Amino acid sequence: MKMIVQIALANAKYHKSKNILTGVTIFFTTLLLFLVPTIGYGMIECQNVVINEKYPTWHALYRDITEETVTKLSGHHLVERFGLRSDFGVVANIEAEIMMLYLDENGFDLYKQELLEGKFPETEEEIVVSKGVLKELSKTGEIGTTITIPYQVYRNDGLDYIQEKEFVICGFIEDAETNLKQRIYSAFVSQDLLKKEIPAEEISYYFLFQVSAEDVKTTEEMELRIKQLAEQFKISEQAIRVNQEYLGANYVDPAYIPGIVIIMIIIVLAGMITIYSIYYITMGERVQEFGKIKAIGATRKQLRRIVLIEGMIIAGVAIPFGLLVGTFLIKSIYLGMFELYQDENEMMSIAKEFILSGKIQFHQLWIYLLTVFVAVLTVYLSLLRPMKVVARISEIEAIRFHMGQLLKKGKKTRKGYKDITVGKLTKVYLAGNKKKSIITICSMAITGLFFMVVATILSCADPVDGANYSILGEYEISAMIELNNKEHPELEWSEVQKNNPLDEELKNKILQIEGINGIECYQGTMMISDAFYGGREWIIGFPESRKRQLEEGIVEGSVTYEELMMGDKAILNKMMLKWYPELSIGDVLKVVVEEGTGGIEREVEIVAIGDYPMGMTSYSCLIMAEEGIEKFSENNLSRFYHIFADKKYDPMVEEQLRHIVEESGRLWIRVWEEVYKQQKSAVTMTSGMCYTFLGILGVICIMNMINTMIHGVHVRKKEIGMLQAIGMSDAQLYKMLQLEGVFYTAGTLLIAVGGGSLAGYPVFCWAKSIKIFDISHYHYPVEATIVVIVVLVVVQYILTFIIGRSVKKEFLIDRIRFSD
Amino acid sequence: MSVIVKIQDLVKYYYAGDNIVKAIDHTDLEIERGKFTAIVGRSGSGKSTLLHMLGGLDRPDSGKVFIDGKDIFKLKENELAVFRRKKIGFIFQDYNLIPSLNVWENIVLPIGLDERKVESQEIEAILNHIGLDDKKESMPNTLSGGQKQRVAIARALASSPAIILADEPTGNLDSKTELEVINLLKNCVKTYHQTLVMITHDETIAQMADIIIVIEDGKVVKKI
Repeated sequence: MKMIVQIALANAKYHKSKNILTGVTIFFTTLLLFLVPTIGYGMIECQNVVINEKYPTWHALYRDITEETVTKLSGHHLVERFGLRSDFGVVANIEAEIMMLYLDENGFDLYKQELLEGKFPETEEEIVVSKGVLKELSKTGEIGTTITIPYQVYRNDGLDYIQEKEFVICGFIEDAETNLKQRIYSAFVSQDLLKKEIPAEEISYYFLFQVSAEDVKTTEEMELRIKQLAEQFKISEQAIRVNQEYLGANYVDPAYIPGIVIIMIIIVLAGMITIYSIYYITMGERVQEFGKIKAIGATRKQLRRIVLIEGMIIAGVAIPFGLLVGTFLIKSIYLGMFELYQDENEMMSIAKEFILSGKIQFHQLWIYLLTVFVAVLTVYLSLLRPMKVVARISEIEAIRFHMGQLLKKGKKTRKGYKDITVGKLTKVYLAGNKKKSIITICSMAITGLFFMVVATILSCADPVDGANYSILGEYEISAMIELNNKEHPELEWSEVQKNNPLDEELKNKILQIEGINGIECYQGTMMISDAFYGGREWIIGFPESRKRQLEEGIVEGSVTYEELMMGDKAILNKMMLKWYPELSIGDVLKVVVEEGTGGIEREVEIVAIGDYPMGMTSYSCLIMAEEGIEKFSENNLSRFYHIFADKKYDPMVEEQLRHIVEESGRLWIRVWEEVYKQQKSAVTMTSGMCYTFLGILGVICIMNMINTMIHGVHVRKKEIGMLQAIGMSDAQLYKMLQLEGVFYTAGTLLIAVGGGSLAGYPVFCWAKSIKIFDISHYHYPVEATIVVIVVLVVVQYILTFIIGRSVKKEFLIDRIRFSD
Repeated sequence: MSVIVKIQDLVKYYYAGDNIVKAIDHTDLEIERGKFTAIVGRSGSGKSTLLHMLGGLDRPDSGKVFIDGKDIFKLKENELAVFRRKKIGFIFQDYNLIPSLNVWENIVLPIGLDERKVESQEIEAILNHIGLDDKKESMPNTLSGGQKQRVAIARALASSPAIILADEPTGNLDSKTELEVINLLKNCVKTYHQTLVMITHDETIAQMADIIIVIEDGKVVKKI
């Protein structure tokens, strides 16, 4: 055994250049194997720490629960702990939004709300506020101070008239950063006040609770338990809200694991292919070595061991090095990532604080052990084949075998050339080493292909598309609509349509703005139906200019634009099937259309199901032709003005539009640019991570080309020296090496870029069908393709240059003398 | 007498640790055009180094080598490569054929590298001369040692160089083949009016040469 180790060690030293490349491959493979689960784990861990720190701790809540059900539920054995919340009303006459809630003591706890000072409200007059609330009310005060607050109470799903009341501050809570930033606050009143102001039969509670988690390990099981409990009490699915974030943070979400495992398998495969290919390329040369060892008495087992031990010696150096670099890199990667996105995501900045304060520990022993195990496994698996080849070597063949004498007996001799040029010389060499060339190209191309496919998806996840999908035109103006606010009855849709701010005058005003070249008006109205569980939904009418899109968007059933003009047929928005899964083609919905003078009963038949961009449907449930909608009411049913401008974004245009909106006081505006920016920040982060991963994977695969080319020159050192002795000039030598490199590069590019482009399309279709990143349009990954081409060409040129120079460095005579 | 190769005060030392190996030590030499010159000497006497210097394969520490009046070490790398392929043909002990090329291709290789047109008839004549006209499609690994060396000779002759440098061309051959190859080589250079410089440690072969140069410790000690 000692001798075997010695031979392996000597081999490792002797084949230094090959082993350095193998080492670099193992190093990068280890680095990726370490980084992927560490980043994955760290992300989850960050989220969990932040969630546990900031998020409410209830597992789920049931909405619209009566006091009677509360009593029953509270006694159920699955309910471990519960709290109650009820929305009492809102503070009126202020710009900020201050919700007035009733929350019991347990509720406070489950919401992670803590009293800074004071006590919970008990009497009708008592109220708990925050400094922010007082500031918004332009008041100051402390415990015991009496303040007058104007407010509107929620009644029958709507807001009642404004009333004023004197409250006594009994406690203070802290304002979160988001409260101050978004100007959304909460103030807490007593149950007594709730019961006094709202009739008992109208009070509905949110039942916040933690389920008994015995025997439950995954979020899926937890959710099932929550749903089963709801069923027992006839609580509809719509009334359940599961605290996914909290559950995910405390119970394993099975969806994470396969993702990480798949990525790790890809890394293992890339590493294996490269390591195997490096060994394969040098195998010919080593057959002789091993044959000699076998001839002097080594057994097959010993030969296998020599190969394995040699590989493991390299792994023994490369794996710890990979882990070391990974360990140092990880913190910087995280901080860099959080630095980049902290402005956009509050969680990121909290996570950053936690990392700096050491609350989140990335360095997990199990990840180190897992990495070592998987990396060693990768090396072992990639050595299996070389081990087998070495074990099968026959002594005599190995001794006879001379490098370059690759022509096997019985192999058909190729047709010779009359004359020999550098090009033909290269061709003959590559043809003679066909298998090696194919293995090099394929192993590189597989990674390249994968790169191209992922790049296609990332390129299709274009924020421009995403923005175009969710907003039609460059600006969107709609009328302000608010339901059941007694203080603002003019904002009810039934009233808005009588005096719709989206009128001709507004249209003309907008069209006068320089830079705006058109407005598309979408009409729509609201309807109530049993099919919507008694709730309200919108129906929207596409203008005739969108006839083609309307018909092309149909995914099931068929109907023409003209048929939809009658007002009795509609297309169901496919997106709504998620909420109303039982709706289908042929259903005739009895709807009550909200019209100024009261509801009008109508029947609408679903004749097709259509898939349209959100910007066109704006979450409307049903779609018909504009003319059909007009039949519903004499009023102005304009819902949206989609405004088209010369430039995608022009601050001057936005300013003028905002001015119009503010002046009216009854309009909302959405800007394409804003939506685009939101989409972009989400996509940038994902692409950044994906490309970093693919980049390292690319480095692994390039090791292959380096190996093949270095090896190609190494074994032909003498041959090249010979060629130079008989007159090959340096320029000719470079040309020959260059041509070989071009062959590998071109072959790889052909498969990677050609194959990747072809494979990209079906993958895009699949991604589109399952709505990954809201992908809607196919975009060829031009940039990624250029990067792949440029990187490969540059690497090949640099490689040829370096190899050429290293060949030149040695004296010609040394090369001729060189003997393998 | 016309001189084709002239060596002036040539020096080449190798440094192995603290020891200095004086491979060529201030040597002067002239080689006549159209003659068969044999360089003899014991192993390590510096004869191979001398041959390599003549061919421009290795650079001296000092001194000059003139071939056809041209100081070859004043040439740049590329110029030297071009000069070599036009003026010099090499024959090595271990043949140094390109394994992936067949016999014909190996022979025409120097012409191809010189970007000249291959005159098939001339090559056929050479092949005929060396007795391998039926092997031109064969790959080197299917040939015997003697055959391989003949191909190497043909390759050296093919580009019609002025001078052929042979480094123990028969070192790997049996005595019968050895004589055949030497005779062939001698005949060829005569036919094609070339100069042959051959290194050998074999007295019999040396006796076949027109001129014998004896080297000892990096110096020419005798010229017969």
